[in-house]
Amino acid sequence: MSEPILTLSDVTVAFDALKAVDGVSLTVPRGQRRAIIGPNGAGKTTLFNAIAGAHPPTSGKVMFNGNDVSELPPHRRARLGISRTFQITNLFPTLSVQDNMMLALRGLKPKKFSLFGAPDPDEAEAARIGSALKAARIAERADVIVKEMSYGEQRQLEIAIALVTTPTMLLLDEPAAGLSPSERSMIAEVIRSLDPAITVILIEHDMDLALGLVDHVTCMFEGRVLVEEPPEGIRRNAKVQEVYLGKPRHA
Amino acid sequence: MTPASKSRILGMTARGATTAAAILIVAALLPLGLSSYQVGLATEILIFGILAMSIDILAGFAGRTSLGHGAIFGVSTYVVVYMTSQAEMSPWLALLLGIAAATVVAAVFALLAVRTSGVYFLLLTLALGMIIWGVCLRWTQVTGGENGMRGDVRPAILVGQSAFYWAVLACAAVVSYAMWRFVCSPFGLTLRGIRDSESRMRSLGYNVPLHLFIGFSVSGVFAGIAGALYAMFNNFVSPSTVALAQSVEGVLMMIAGGVGTLFGAFVGAAAIIVLENIVSSYTQRWLMVLGITFVLIMIFAPEGIIGKLRAIFSRKAKAP
Amino acid sequence: MDRRQFLKTSTAAVAAMGAGTAPWRAAQAQATPIKIGLLAPLTGVVASGGKEMVEGVQFYLDQVKNEMGGRKVELVIEDDASNPDTALQKARRLVEQGNCHMLIGNLLANTGLAVANYVKGTGTPYFIPIIAADDLTQRARIKNVIRVAGYTASAFTHPFGDWCLKQGYKRIATISQDYTFGHEQCGGLAQVFTEGGGTIVQQFWHPLNTADFSPYLGQLAELKVDAIFAMETGADSTRLIQQYASFGLKEKTPLLMAMNGTDQSVIRTIGPECEGIVAAAHFAEGSDVPTTAKFEKEYEAKYGKIPSLYGFSMYSGMMWIDAALKKIDGKVEDRETFIETVLKTELDNSPLGKAVKFDDYGNPIYDVYIRKVVKRADSKFWNVPIETYPNVSQFWKYDPATYLKQPPYSRTFQGIKKA
Repeated sequence: MSEPILTLSDVTVAFDALKAVDGVSLTVPRGQRRAIIGPNGAGKTTLFNAIAGAHPPTSGKVMFNGNDVSELPPHRRARLGISRTFQITNLFPTLSVQDNMMLALRGLKPKKFSLFGAPDPDEAEAARIGSALKAARIAERADVIVKEMSYGEQRQLEIAIALVTTPTMLLLDEPAAGLSPSERSMIAEVIRSLDPAITVILIEHDMDLALGLVDHVTCMFEGRVLVEEPPEGIRRNAKVQEVYLGKPRHA
Repeated sequence: MTPASKSRILGMTARGATTAAAILIVAALLPLGLSSYQVGLATEILIFGILAMSIDILAGFAGRTSLGHGAIFGVSTYVVVYMTSQAEMSPWLALLLGIAAATVVAAVFALLAVRTSGVYFLLLTLALGMIIWGVCLRWTQVTGGENGMRGDVRPAILVGQSAFYWAVLACAAVVSYAMWRFVCSPFGLTLRGIRDSESRMRSLGYNVPLHLFIGFSVSGVFAGIAGALYAMFNNFVSPSTVALAQSVEGVLMMIAGGVGTLFGAFVGAAAIIVLENIVSSYTQRWLMVLGITFVLIMIFAPEGIIGKLRAIFSRKAKAP
Repeated sequence: MDRRQFLKTSTAAVAAMGAGTAPWRAAQAQATPIKIGLLAPLTGVVASGGKEMVEGVQFYLDQVKNEMGGRKVELVIEDDASNPDTALQKARRLVEQGNCHMLIGNLLANTGLAVANYVKGTGTPYFIPIIAADDLTQRARIKNVIRVAGYTASAFTHPFGDWCLKQGYKRIATISQDYTFGHEQCGGLAQVFTEGGGTIVQQFWHPLNTADFSPYLGQLAELKVDAIFAMETGADSTRLIQQYASFGLKEKTPLLMAMNGTDQSVIRTIGPECEGIVAAAHFAEGSDVPTTAKFEKEYEAKYGKIPSLYGFSMYSGMMWIDAALKKIDGKVEDRETFIETVLKTELDNSPLGKAVKFDDYGNPIYDVYIRKVVKRADSKFWNVPIETYPNVSQFWKYDPATYLKQPPYSRTFQGIKKA
């Protein structure tokens, strides 16, 4: 196993009395594909927010690539190479795909303050936008206005936006939620063919989709890590079956 | 990217540049065919067009409609009239000071308003504008109170109605070009991003309030230019120049022309000023007529005159 | 050539061109009508006054069958919307588009000052029967802006201050709308009253459109003064008079007002609360001078209301212009002569009741009435003269040159003599 890129030590995120994430420790090696699964309310998205910085941990430590990022705001973490998508599509609907990509690319660059500069991307920018769109398989849609695209394409654009800053770690928050089966397989294909150097952490409800994509699975329940196992073992794990299937039986 | 869009003149496509040049030439020839009063009206349209455009930068591109721009505009007018009539300063220097003052006021407005949006932004800018109005009304020793101030603001070479019109036209052309470059620039794109999704902009690493602050201040510079020209146009200023009605008129002109169309501002300004003038000579109820016209525009062309025309043309273009 | 020099020469050049075309225009004179541009606030805060201004002008034109100085008159009415920017735009329209020979009107000082500043450049004769801003006939006079049948704000409060002294008043407090018109009227009274030994105990300035006067009235009641002078216009005046009475001050302290406070436009809407209020003015609709009484009767018969300052002033202003036009056979095209003639013309047989002429600064010299609101036989209220100050100059008894050296009246300068 290669050296870890992400290490969480005893991370807790509390909203008043409620501990949404309660003492989570986990380690993700560089280049790994990792899924975080768990029933609703398990604390998956909150954990994402703690990693990406949208909601910094109340206590505990987040180490990324050798840096303690626990206290850093999201854009500082982004600069270090953490990139994420959102569970709820959050794009710029009246702008073109190209403009969406440009905004994503320039967020961390001084060029965003060019008040009277030419609008077009320079060569380096164009190349990065091109390759990100290609990786997300929407290269030919660059001039389309986002609100005119299908929902599946918008999810692909989410991934393209996350990729354009050439992150070292990509956090995907339910990338396939709400998609049709054919759109899901497209998303799966996009994720599978990502550059292997990129570490990918993914939250997904659809176990079949998630398990088919990753090397390792973390199952969360009530804010804590329940099980950590490779995908093959996870299906048979009694605890996992309990939290996923057991509850309704008692209800 | 099509090859045609690559050959550009000052960043404009060939077609855009031709259209701009044609409009400019027609506008420049207007004084030859109009009475001096009509030239005066045309001058007013240009000045208010600049004001409406400065509002559109925020409303159409950053999604923030300001009801304080009349006050920013008027501060410039006040400073220019004061500096020429009371401080006996050269008009050119007074113009610069006026624009600078408007920019400072806009920056202060921005500091207070950038963290709000929607109706709160509207109300906050409205309240700030009212403060400026109150100061102009109350600070009698400096502003002349209710009666305002008068002076000979126009430099000697611009005393003639046509000469002044051409000067304003040149100014409007440069300012329009600058504003167009501004909204198309990488920075302008960030404003449009903020309009569409503030939360996404934040997560992409943008300091949203800072961008709005810069956008507001730049918009203030342009409103200040319009205000300084207005000082030269009227040689006079009173609290009604900074009153809420002024801000509202600017916003209405922008909306009538089409929010986010930028140059629609001139069409909106022309429509409202011409209508005001024609209707008011036929009926005392001209304000009502104006109101009804506005309601009709809102019902039948909510995207504004230019917005509507664009929609019609693009529909025709799509139809075989 | 500096800017001022340029302005002078270019004005001279324009004037020369005008003179060159004058003979041709004179030949045309009899054929074409005289165009008069009337600017009045028909919308906005003072719209009711504006409508009475139009009535006053129409009333005069009806009487002379639309003919002045032997020529037909074409009246063009424009709404200044009670807004100086609009007033300026409409003035431009009347002069540049409508080719009006002269402008008359405006009600609010800021609209009048805006138009005055504009005609300073064009040279168009502009008559202001209502605009009372002191400096238009004092420190900032414009030759072609003439106050026919109008007045300077402080001209009537000077004698009023003197009258107060004669009543034996020692201590007076003032309350006024906080703007130049108020500062000027209060200043006139305060200066004469304090120089004669009186004391201005306190001055209250309130914003225009004050709904509730009780905070001010409460303080005024505590002051133990001999009289209270109030400078109010329009709805503020109505409210102050009503609240003054309901506060119980009417029985205790005499209320004196600037003449606009008890103008017909105000008191025709209120009842006995206004009875007994004293003001100083050049006109009292209840005067028994035959020309005044005749005008009042005819106006009331035609419009169903006692004439206000607005109707009366515009009517008299038109009459004054007509008197001048008769002398020059209606040749308004020769502006210089027209303006000179107006300034030299004495207005006789007007509702003012006595011949009136201009002083050297273009301000009319009136007999100033101290007038009191009394109930008429038909229980309407009107102003009746109780004392007259003959031939009052806008400079009162001061030497004009000395007077003009003092600053204009403002909130901070009220001419109050330190004891």
